[in-house]
Amino acid sequence: MHIPDGFISPQTYLPASAVAAGLWTYAARRVKRDLDADTLPFLAACTALSFVLMMVALPLPGGTTVHAAGIGLLAVSFGGWMAFLAISLVLAMQALLFGDGGITALPINALAMGFIGSFAALAAWKALGRWNQTIALFLAGWLSIALPALLVALALGVQPLIAHDAQGAPLFFPFGLAVTLPAVVLPHLLVGLAEGVLSVLGYRYLTRLRSRLA
Amino acid sequence: MQRDRIHLGLYLAGVLGATLIHAPAWLAAGLALVLLLSGRDAASLLRRAVLTVLAFNTLISLSYLGMAWWQDAFTQAPSPWLTLLRLNLRVLLLTCLTFLFIARTNLFQALDFSKSLTYVLGLAYSQTLTFSRAHDDFRLALASRSLTRPSLIDRYRASAAAISWFIEKSLHAATQSSQALRSRGFFHD
Repeated sequence: MHIPDGFISPQTYLPASAVAAGLWTYAARRVKRDLDADTLPFLAACTALSFVLMMVALPLPGGTTVHAAGIGLLAVSFGGWMAFLAISLVLAMQALLFGDGGITALPINALAMGFIGSFAALAAWKALGRWNQTIALFLAGWLSIALPALLVALALGVQPLIAHDAQGAPLFFPFGLAVTLPAVVLPHLLVGLAEGVLSVLGYRYLTRLRSRLA
Repeated sequence: MQRDRIHLGLYLAGVLGATLIHAPAWLAAGLALVLLLSGRDAASLLRRAVLTVLAFNTLISLSYLGMAWWQDAFTQAPSPWLTLLRLNLRVLLLTCLTFLFIARTNLFQALDFSKSLTYVLGLAYSQTLTFSRAHDDFRLALASRSLTRPSLIDRYRASAAAISWFIEKSLHAATQSSQALRSRGFFHD
């Protein structure tokens, strides 16, 4: 889902960077409050786990595969701020150490996938978890993909409106909302189903593992 | 250390500059400058950058050309070719700039103003490399043990086994690092 470099205008990524920087600072403070010999390596482990979950291909009938992100699983298991920081770190590492993704797209990707994705998943879990864990986890996973996809589609789709030359030619991403909304959101509604299943199974496995290790 | 921070500053300024200029000639000049700065690595850097952006940019470019043709935009100003030239040059310039930055800069030293940030980044990066290798091993293991293309259910099982291994390994790695931090007095220095 995440956007490569060169498609987002400074009118978008500069304000997004300011918002993301504020949230990163707040999240770091929140996590730092409990930062000790347990939470620090845990954040690193979450980051590595999230990175590798994005690499694992989940097969779909017909021979294609989709890549999970593990956002819902991380948010439900380790909390929204920890998940936000972990996803942001993954995106930063992908952009600055592996050359994948982009530095200009980093704040949008972090806000969409890390912040909106994590907290939407957490909200679904908190709202429905007591009623039915399986449905809550599935919805958490699905929302953690569907909502970020919507935000990314909006961020891309407004580019021709806010960044164009005197003749109206787009300077960055060339397609408007009429194209980006169906092209980005619809496939991710399906990808969200795989993410939902991953959240259900991953959370159950993690809970079992934690009780075994405790 | 100081050099890495300067590189980071220059890189961020370069990225901002590449998104503030819109004339294809200037973007091409920027690309030429980046390739000049990369010296003998210029050809491999350009090749890697082209391969990285090829799939996404080809899809976007062809879709845009198709849409322009459908709307009969080739006969009107502004030319769709100019838009595509600008877009692709900018993406290539930013990708080459990022690869040059990665090749020339130690990011861990550039960010060493925060002990915790450097530590988390270092630990996450090292675990990520281990996990990436393990992920390749899982993929190759499935391929090498299958005479024909694995069935959907086998691929589900393989993905589930890999994910459960990664989850378990993450928890163990966190516990190990935590014990290592405690034993070395990381939080009491």
